[in-house]
Amino acid sequence: MLLGVVREDEKAGRGIFAPAEPVDASDEKYSPVRESERCMFLKPIYWLFGLIWFQGSEVAALVTQVLIMSEDTKGPTEPLVGSSTLWKDLRVLLPDTEEELKLELSEKVDRSLTMLLQQAVGLFYAGHWQECLQASEAILDYSWEKLNTGPWQDVDKEWRRVYSFGCLLKAMCLCQAPQKATAVAEALRVCDMGLLMGAAILGDILLKVVTVLQTHLLPGKQPARDPHQDEPFTKKTKCDSNAAPDVVLERAVPRLRCPTLQYFRKHFLVPGRPVILEGVADHWPCMRKWSLQYIQEVAGCRTVPVEVGSRYTDEDWSQTLMTVNEFIHKYILSEAKDVGYLAQHQLFDQVLGRKYIRLYSPQESEAVYPHETHLLHNTSQVDVENPNLDKFPKFAEAPFLSCILSPGETLFIPAKYWHYVRSLDLSFSVSFWWS
Amino acid sequence: MNIPSVVSFASAGVGAQRRLQPTRGSGPHGLTEDSQGQTDNAAVAPWKARLSCLQSSPWVAALTFHPAGHAPARWLPTEDSVNMAKEQHGTWFGFGFCGFGQVLGSGNGRHSVHSPEPLRASEDVCRVSASWSYTALVTRGGRVELSGSVSSSADGCRDAWASEGLLVVLRDKDGSSTELRAWTPSSALQGEPLWVQNLVSGADDPGEDEPSSETRASTLPLLPRAHAYVNPQPPFCQPLAPELRVRQLELGAEHVLMLCEAGQVFSWGGGRHGQLGHGTLEAELKPRLLEALQGLWMAEVAAGGWHSVCVSETGDIYIWGWNESGQLALPIRNPTEDKRVSRAELNEDCLEEEAAMTDLGAPAPFIAIQPFPALLDLPLGSDAVKASCGSRHTAVVTRTGELYTWGWGKYGQLGHKDSSSLDRPCRVEYFAEKQLQVRAVTCGPWNTYVYAVEREEI
Repeated sequence: MLLGVVREDEKAGRGIFAPAEPVDASDEKYSPVRESERCMFLKPIYWLFGLIWFQGSEVAALVTQVLIMSEDTKGPTEPLVGSSTLWKDLRVLLPDTEEELKLELSEKVDRSLTMLLQQAVGLFYAGHWQECLQASEAILDYSWEKLNTGPWQDVDKEWRRVYSFGCLLKAMCLCQAPQKATAVAEALRVCDMGLLMGAAILGDILLKVVTVLQTHLLPGKQPARDPHQDEPFTKKTKCDSNAAPDVVLERAVPRLRCPTLQYFRKHFLVPGRPVILEGVADHWPCMRKWSLQYIQEVAGCRTVPVEVGSRYTDEDWSQTLMTVNEFIHKYILSEAKDVGYLAQHQLFDQVLGRKYIRLYSPQESEAVYPHETHLLHNTSQVDVENPNLDKFPKFAEAPFLSCILSPGETLFIPAKYWHYVRSLDLSFSVSFWWS
Repeated sequence: MNIPSVVSFASAGVGAQRRLQPTRGSGPHGLTEDSQGQTDNAAVAPWKARLSCLQSSPWVAALTFHPAGHAPARWLPTEDSVNMAKEQHGTWFGFGFCGFGQVLGSGNGRHSVHSPEPLRASEDVCRVSASWSYTALVTRGGRVELSGSVSSSADGCRDAWASEGLLVVLRDKDGSSTELRAWTPSSALQGEPLWVQNLVSGADDPGEDEPSSETRASTLPLLPRAHAYVNPQPPFCQPLAPELRVRQLELGAEHVLMLCEAGQVFSWGGGRHGQLGHGTLEAELKPRLLEALQGLWMAEVAAGGWHSVCVSETGDIYIWGWNESGQLALPIRNPTEDKRVSRAELNEDCLEEEAAMTDLGAPAPFIAIQPFPALLDLPLGSDAVKASCGSRHTAVVTRTGELYTWGWGKYGQLGHKDSSSLDRPCRVEYFAEKQLQVRAVTCGPWNTYVYAVEREEI
C-alpha cells in the first residue's frame, strides 16, 4: 500500500520521500532568502502569539500570530515614554476632521447602528468623551451579538468592521485622559479584541494604535516577575514515559535549508506538500533573544486566545482569552492542573523545546475518521499514537509524514492537512498564518 | 481544523439530566419512555402550506381564506387579557437600555435606566414590542406608538411586532378582515409598506375543529389563525403546518421556539449554543419536538438571543441554551478583567465575592452551554406564570405577582439598580416596595417592560 503510494507520487513528480539530511546551502537553488523575499514569504497581517478560531475557514482555521520583534520597534531597553504624549500620538492617527473619517459601511449594517456610529464619531470630534464612550460600548455590544449569530464564516465582514470601529473609539476615549492606571491596559485589551474579532478599518488603524499603546505602557502594570523564571526548561518538563518516537526514514517530512522563495513556492506551496525549513528562523532578530522573560516584557499585556485541555474533543476542553502574562503564569510557571497551549497553524516555528508532528494528507481523510457532527467534522476520532484499530481499521494503513521539530526549525503545513502534534519538552511554539 | 468560535463545554449534559425532574402536578406527568407525545413525523409535518401562493411572491401576497358564508371566528381573549381589561388601573414600567431615546421611564435622555420607572404613555397600553433601537406600544384604543430611533404613530392597529429590519403591524380592516402590514422601521409607518397581506378572519377551513375555548389570541410574530409567522429576514412570512396547531411562537437570534395547543414545545433553526434543547449543537431545519419535555404541559415559551425558556402549567421553569452572562441562572465562569472593571464601578459587594473566589485558586465549575432543558427553581419555591427573554437576560413573573430577573445586566435591564450581571434569579424589589403586583413582562433585546397593578387589599 505504501509503496503504491510512492510510485504514484513519483510518477506525478511529487515524490514524498526527500532525503532526511538537509541540502547544502551552497547549492544555488538554496541561496538564503533575500530580504524582500522574506517579506513576501511571511506576509503576515499582524503578529502576536495566540490563536483565533474561524469556523469553516480552511486557511484561517487557526490563526496564530507572532509578535515581530524587528529592530524597528522600541524595545523595553529604551526609556519609556510618558503618558503625556500618549494622547497626541494616538490622536494623530485619526483624520483631523470628522468629514475625513470615512466609515463606508454597507447597507447590510442596521441603519440604527450606522446612525449610532456616526453619532459616536461626531461626539468624539466634538470632544464629548464620556458620551462617545457610552455610544462605543453600545456599538461594541450590538456588533458582538451579530458576530455571535450564525456560523463565523457567515458573519458579514461589515459587522466585524463595525466591531473594530467600536474598539477604536472606545480605546481612544479611554486614553483621552487616563485617570486610572488600568485605562491604557484596558485600551490595549480592547484593541486586541478588535484585532482578533474585527476586520481592517481605516488602513489597519488598530495596528497602529496598538503599537503606540504598547510603547506607552508603564512597567508598573506588569505583574511581578518570578526570579526563578530564568530557567524555564528545568522548571517543568513534560516528557512522556515513552520517549520520542522513532521517525521512520521513508515517512519523514523532507527538509530544506534556506530555499529560495520560488523553489519553495513551486515545489511545496503550490502543490501543497509539507516541508521543514532550516535556517529560515535565523533571519528573525527575535530568535536571538527569545526567552520567557523577554516575551513577557514585550508582549505580556497583549490578549491572546488560549486553549485549555489536552484535546479539544475532551469534555473539559475550553477556549478563553487572557493576556500573555496570565498565560505564562498560569500554565508555564505554575502547577496548573489543566494543560494550556497556544495552538498553531500552517507554519510551526519552534522556539523552545521539541514537538513530534504527524501529517496526513487530505486524501486520507477517510482513514482518519473525522467526527460526523458539523462542529467537529475537521477533527479525527482516532487517538493517533494509540489507535483503536478495531474501530478504525483503515487508520493502520494510512500513509503519513512525521518529524520531530526542534528549536529553530520551521514546518510548513499545507492547508487541509490533518496534523497531530505532541510536545516532547516544555515547548513554546510561535507560528503565523499567511495567505 | 475548523473550530467553532469561542465556546466552552462543561459537563452540562450530565448535570442537566439530574436536574430534570417530573413536575409536581397531580396528573400522570413524568419523563417515562412510554409517555404520550408524538415523536414521529406526523405531528411535525413537512412544510406544506395551504398558502402556496406565498412561496411564489413573498413580497406582496394576497392571502385570502374562503369562509363561504361561515360566521367569523371569535377572537377569544385569554384569561390574562380579560383580567388586564378589568384592571384598568395597571401601569407599564420600563428599565434597561434607552440610548436611542425610546420611551422608558421618564425619558431624561439618559443612556440607560437601572430601576423601573413608569412609562409616560398617553393611553392604556396593552402590548409592548421592543426592538434594539425603538419600541412599539399598542394601546387598547388601537393605536401603535413608536419611540426611539423611529418616532411615529398609527391608528386602527391590533398588534405590532418590532425588529431592527422589519416592523409589522396588524390592522383591522373594514368588517371582519384583518390586514398585516410590514414596513422598514425607518419609514415610520409613512408611505407604502413593504408588503401587505389580507387575512380574512373567516371560520376555520373545513375539516378542522372549532377553536376551543382555551385558544388564546395569537400574538405576533405568529399570525392570527396560526398558519404562518413573520420572519425578519426574507421570506418574511413563513408558513406553518396546520397540523401543528401552533399556539405561541417566539423568535431568537437564530432559532424559533414554538408552543402547540397540546402544550408541547418545538424548536428549529441554529443550534450552536444549545438553544434548540435537543441535546446537540446541530441545527434543525424543521420543527422538532423537544423530547426532554415530553409528558409536561407547557403554558408559555420565551426565546432570548441564544437561549430558550418555557413555563409549565404547574408553574415550573425549564431553561436551556447559552449561559455566557448567566441568563440560564447557571453558574458562569469567573468574570474576565473587563467585566470585573465595569462591575467594580457599581457593585462593590459582588466584586469582593468574586475576588475571594479567585484567590482560592480552584477554578469554580461553570456551565457555558446547556443543550437541553434544565429545571430551574425560583427562590422560595415560587410558581412562574409568565416569562420573557431579552438578548441575554431572562425575566419571570410569579403567581404571587413578583418579578425575577437574571442574566446580562450591563444596561440595567435587570432592574436591580445597578449594571451587574447575575447568574441566579433575583427579585426586582421595586415592585414589592411599591406594593405592586406584576402581571406581565415583555423584554426587548437590552431592556424590560413590566405591567403591574396595585396590590389588592386583603
